Amino acid sequence: MSVYINSTGHYLPGPPIDNDNIERILGLVHNKPSRLKNRILKSNGIKTRHYAIDADHNTLESNAQLATKAANECLDAVGFRRNRLGLLSAATSQGDFVLPGFGSMVQAELGLPDVELHTSHGICSSSMMALKHAYLSVKAGEQDSALVVASELASRLFKASRYEAAGDVPDFNAEFLRWMLSDGAGALLLENAPRKTSLRIDWIQGFSHADAFPVCMTVGHPRESQNGKSWQDYPTYAEAEADGALLIRQDVRLLEHVVKLGVDGFLRVMGKHQLSPSSIDHVLCHYSSDHFRGRIFDMLNAAGMMVPEERWYTNLYERGNTGCASLFIMLDEFLHTQTYDEGDTILCMVPESGRFNNVYMHLTVVTE
Amino acid sequence: MTAQPTQPTHDLTANSQRCLQQLMRVWFDFERRLSRVPILQRLERGQFNVDDYRNLLLHLRQQVIEGGRWISRCASSFDRDYLDVRSEVIKHARDEHQDYQMLEQDYQRVGGDLDTLHTQEANLGTDALHAFLMHRASLPNPVDLIGAMWMIEGLGQKMAASWAERIDAAVNTGTPCTQFMRYHADNDDDHMAKLYALLNRTCQSEQDIQRIVKTARVVGRLYAMQLEEVDYDDSL
Repeated sequence: MSVYINSTGHYLPGPPIDNDNIERILGLVHNKPSRLKNRILKSNGIKTRHYAIDADHNTLESNAQLATKAANECLDAVGFRRNRLGLLSAATSQGDFVLPGFGSMVQAELGLPDVELHTSHGICSSSMMALKHAYLSVKAGEQDSALVVASELASRLFKASRYEAAGDVPDFNAEFLRWMLSDGAGALLLENAPRKTSLRIDWIQGFSHADAFPVCMTVGHPRESQNGKSWQDYPTYAEAEADGALLIRQDVRLLEHVVKLGVDGFLRVMGKHQLSPSSIDHVLCHYSSDHFRGRIFDMLNAAGMMVPEERWYTNLYERGNTGCASLFIMLDEFLHTQTYDEGDTILCMVPESGRFNNVYMHLTVVTE
Repeated sequence: MTAQPTQPTHDLTANSQRCLQQLMRVWFDFERRLSRVPILQRLERGQFNVDDYRNLLLHLRQQVIEGGRWISRCASSFDRDYLDVRSEVIKHARDEHQDYQMLEQDYQRVGGDLDTLHTQEANLGTDALHAFLMHRASLPNPVDLIGAMWMIEGLGQKMAASWAERIDAAVNTGTPCTQFMRYHADNDDDHMAKLYALLNRTCQSEQDIQRIVKTARVVGRLYAMQLEEVDYDDSL
């Protein structure tokens, strides 16, 4: 059975925030402007992004509410009746609550009766894992339809007060993501028959390399490596926070692996499915930073497998890096703003730096 | 299965471009294997100390010295149809055949005793790697050793700089003690350009591609084994 993406939607909270206004919202740590900010922004190339918190650090919309707005846009675009939905598959890096699963919170917010539920846990690739679950459920004939929602509310991690609570020690790896990540949500509706214009999912394939590499992006890991000590191993959460264990942190030295592993997986799927660069009409790649775009291109050129640059679409620079929601937001905006024809193929890639999980998807534009 | 390339690199022929693509995949797999090797895991995770470094150099020395031999043997196995390749490989052998001296100096600078270094037996991985390379190098026109060079030069070009940086951070001696690795990091870029040219010259058929890639894979496995053996006590 074939599976089709029949509708998409996205939601970005509040107005676009430009680079000069980031610290107005997130706050000045110890009342001082960041010394790293400009360097990191220059490298990632992001010009504007969105936050669901205000300058007083009130959360204006919860993560589940962001997810719900994207989901509603997606379902309403095709007038999909909520009570017909078979499966809700949800993804986020951090829900509003530690427990229960994010999917439960989104289901309640959406008011969906009797759905089968799935929540996938991870970072950027969690949306692709949620999508694969939904894809397989429809493909296996278990469900006729599935809604996949990916949502992030990362800004809550970036409030100045969080860094102040973790002491005065400069921590490049903890600050790095403050200038990278922002909030937003995306949603896809999957069905077992196409509508007027649909994307057929040809395959979804992931490769995870956690066995070979250390963690690269964490929440819950203290500032200094302490033999796997977790935020939950402290007597109190206050002590964990003081030790920097609640900050989101990227081990930037390891980021180069993301590029290599991303290209490795690309070569693998292209080989497995006997694809050539000329057979790919559009590439949607979730790279976190403009810096990595260039590195990916260099390696694909070396392999003789570069898809011409004009076929690469991204909205990273205007919408920001919204973690697991990025690819869905990108796909939605691509479909609404770019030109494509029946039979066009789209290759989607999500290389995740968390502990190096990379997921690829091949789509074909079809009409009813 | 290899995908069909459309845009060649460095004016590579179609065969060498396909070969290079497979060699890149072999390399990526090799990097993952190296990441699972205990001594490199310690280096990556900040648990590496000066004993580790002395031990690493102790175990690398045999392979570095033997490296000069297999490359020289390789050169002498190319017949008159491959005179140009032979010259290129001879040059390469000359460049590398004394770099063990840098390694010895590094070893002394981290408090290593030269007698220990000189009496150290090659470990099991080094023995296996050397035996394999000498075997291939002894066959007529061993074009597949381009695959071995790709892996071994790759270590210099892609890994040595980051290893040296981490070692310097972990082993604070005050005097430079990572000259050997830094030398390879600085010079192997040039070697890679020559390697691309060699690839064009020697990779003429699908059979050549398969043989070059297989040799690269074997070298990767045995090289990783050599580094795994650093943590094993060979005495029974």
